[in-house]
Amino acid sequence: MGHLLQYILNGLSKGSIYSLIALGLVVIYRGTGHLNFAQGEMALFATFGAWWINDHGVPLWISVVLAAMFAFVGGGVIEFGLIRPAGKKSPFAVIVITIGLFQAMNSLCGLLFENAGTGLPFGSLFPNEPDDFWRITGNTVWRYENIGVLVTVLVITGLLFALFQKTRVGLAMRMVANNPDSAKLSGVSTSRILMLSWAMSAAIGSLGGSLVAGLNDGVNLATMFSVFLLASAAATLGGLDSPLGAIVGGLSLGVVESLVQNYPDDWPAHEYIGEDTAIAVAFLIILVVLLLKPAGLFGTPRVERV
Amino acid sequence: MSAAHALLDVRGLVAGYGAVQVLHGLDMSVNDGEVAVILGANGAGKTTTMRAISGMIQRSGTITFDGQDISRTAPNDIVRLGVAQVPQGRGTFTDLSVSDNLRAGAYTRTGAKATGIDADMREWYEIFPRLHERRDQKAGSLSGGEQQMLAISRALMSKPRLLLCDEPSLGLAPIITQELFAILGRLNSERGLSILIVEQNANLAVKIAHSVFVLETGSIVASGTAEEIAGNDSVRKAYLGY
Amino acid sequence: MPSSTPRTIRESSPAHWAIRAAGVAAIAFVAIYLASTAQPSTLGDITEACTLAIAAVGLNLLFGFNGQISIGHSTFAGLAAFTAGYSVNAWKWNPYISLAVALILCFLLGLALGLPALRLKGPYLALVTLAVAFVWPTVAAKFLDQKVKASTLKGTKLEPLSWTGLALKGKEARADKAIFLYWAAVVILVIAYVIVRNLRKSRIGRALVAVRDNETAAAVMGVNLKLTKTVTFGISAAIAGASGWVTAARLATMDETTFTILSSIKYLLALFLGGAATLVGPIVGAFAYFFLDDYLKDHAPGWDWLPGPLSKGPVASFMLGVLVIAFVFIAPFGVVGFVKDQVRKVIVIVPRPLRRAPMSAEQVVQTEATRPDEQGPENRGELET
Repeated sequence: MGHLLQYILNGLSKGSIYSLIALGLVVIYRGTGHLNFAQGEMALFATFGAWWINDHGVPLWISVVLAAMFAFVGGGVIEFGLIRPAGKKSPFAVIVITIGLFQAMNSLCGLLFENAGTGLPFGSLFPNEPDDFWRITGNTVWRYENIGVLVTVLVITGLLFALFQKTRVGLAMRMVANNPDSAKLSGVSTSRILMLSWAMSAAIGSLGGSLVAGLNDGVNLATMFSVFLLASAAATLGGLDSPLGAIVGGLSLGVVESLVQNYPDDWPAHEYIGEDTAIAVAFLIILVVLLLKPAGLFGTPRVERV
Repeated sequence: MSAAHALLDVRGLVAGYGAVQVLHGLDMSVNDGEVAVILGANGAGKTTTMRAISGMIQRSGTITFDGQDISRTAPNDIVRLGVAQVPQGRGTFTDLSVSDNLRAGAYTRTGAKATGIDADMREWYEIFPRLHERRDQKAGSLSGGEQQMLAISRALMSKPRLLLCDEPSLGLAPIITQELFAILGRLNSERGLSILIVEQNANLAVKIAHSVFVLETGSIVASGTAEEIAGNDSVRKAYLGY
Repeated sequence: MPSSTPRTIRESSPAHWAIRAAGVAAIAFVAIYLASTAQPSTLGDITEACTLAIAAVGLNLLFGFNGQISIGHSTFAGLAAFTAGYSVNAWKWNPYISLAVALILCFLLGLALGLPALRLKGPYLALVTLAVAFVWPTVAAKFLDQKVKASTLKGTKLEPLSWTGLALKGKEARADKAIFLYWAAVVILVIAYVIVRNLRKSRIGRALVAVRDNETAAAVMGVNLKLTKTVTFGISAAIAGASGWVTAARLATMDETTFTILSSIKYLLALFLGGAATLVGPIVGAFAYFFLDDYLKDHAPGWDWLPGPLSKGPVASFMLGVLVIAFVFIAPFGVVGFVKDQVRKVIVIVPRPLRRAPMSAEQVVQTEATRPDEQGPENRGELET
């Protein structure tokens, strides 16, 4: 029991990354009604990009920011060049494209970066020497890098909320998310907002991927699989159109994952639960929530017009 | 009365949805400073006409606004030129607060034009005190009549020269509808706002109208001043109910 | 618009039967020819392609025809494969009994999954099935760790049945085993195809498609949504399970990485390439995917025009991902959809008239030609085969 706080603190940083990637999913879903199945692999590609920039002598933090900027542009290009024309055909077409992108982007990383399969070293974004932590109580420590990730995500989230609530662009995005026709009739260029949604989501994903790589001290082709899974689980749990839901969902899942991974040694059933069952546990939680609230905890139920 | 100048002029408008053509060459116009009403039954093409004018659907033919051809213009640019629409069903931003809805209406006012936004919002709050009461509430929680007032205010926040109203009385109680048309009439007489209204139930609309058009299965079958149309027996029986 | 009206053939007319018979004969001929002349390794490839095809056929029933997306079908295949592998090796079961048991297990699991799926729409369902795909490797790893107490599970090592006259031992054994496995896969594929085809052509099939296109309208017309959707999930899962059983027969060993999210994605991509919501689409797509993948893996390292490290990487999966994206624009209904469009310019199968006073076939074609396109992922009339 003495370790509870420790596990929670550890879980918060991973959880904040899930929240971040989940936010990226929510931004696209709210703005366009599409699910970007390739969110994780686009983030992976950007993270490899950050590695590459860093490998050429640019300091890590600057590389990460630059990669996010390139991801921003890339996301907009993907929306304009692939998603928009596909969306004109059918929503089914968009699903196919994002699944194709999932595979293509993952493989592209493998093609462009030698040793991507085994992994490339990624520096830590925060001080992470063995003694870089904040001792909270006797046994509980909070490592600087975990604090750093959490704070970074909170800052990004805060900026996003400010953007949505206080700026004209944010208002336009909320308008398009709620009622695209009325948004057009109010003078909003919905196509530009759609592009912006994808661009922002790609940048957010890029930052998330870099944070993960920093925590893991490396990046490889499989890095984003479980992150995307848990992030999408978080978004599902919270409601695909709810930014607040993404945050709550992400943090909760991070903590649950941490508890499930660490506690079982004390539990009698520990042979069956363990490190890798976090996902199964998460899945069960989400299933139960969705049975009660099919649109997620904070999501708005879709009313179908017949 | 000075020679009427057509603020909006529509010639040979053809529009539809996919393979279904709804409008077959529609001709009508709205004079500057006047109220025009299009009467039509269900399926006649009223909403299609409004959507076509605002650029929301594919259309062919000629639409001229204040001398400028807007037949190929994008919807957001048409708003910037001075045409605002209150769509059918009001099109409220249900998840946004009342005040955000008003701000949404003012979206096109950037730069110098942005200075009057707060003052205009206060003005609408004075005209519709209930909106002021509910200014931080989600717009979706307002009643039908309140949403209609909000929709009109929202449309007018962009300071348009022409206001399009698609079946504004739909779903409203008779008393609210009377209030509504009184307000529209005042907006026209006091501010010189040009208004185009499409309606099914026409009594109140025709009372504030300068010109009336009758739309039947995609084209105008009769037009004239309000008095002329009210004097037309068959139209009166079909659309005005007496 | 075709410049000349295509020739029409009435459904179930003698001409139609002739076409059907010719098709079946051609396929049977190819299958037999391959069995007798191909190398064991080629037969092995075809067998592997068949397993992909079986899974794609099952997925198509659920996704293409019933509109429920699943990115988790790899779990059913995995469950069946492990059931077969474990029961045959640890409990010495007859492999065919293990097939029956695996099918039932997968059907039940599919039903179980279909229940919560009733309440989930589009993206939510996709994400839940995604989670299902990820759960399997976890379960498999635990199973290997706890029950098998090894890092891999042995395959079922299917041996030819005595009545086939194929050799069990000796020089011929390897080749004959490959032949037997090939036939097992082909037969199961054909059975799966026939099941899906008959379902599709029946009232049930119309109900499936109605549910896909407009649930509310379907319910109003009397379709039992719960029953239709959950049972479809179950059958689809069982077919995917059959695919897993064949894989267990094919592989010497399996572990938790044999059936992952990447397998599920392969089923989907194969389906899209071939043409979802068509009967042969999944089969064509699976074979196309498999052999394209194979070809690229073999030849890409030798391409001089690819800069150094590129050729060593996953060229195959990259190109296949790009291909699927390209197909959305070039051939949105997959290879089969594209071919059907071309054939339809020349010849059209026309449904039997339902009314007493028949329209001439030409009149039917005219009305078909002027009817506006319906919506929905795939909604073309099908070339009856």
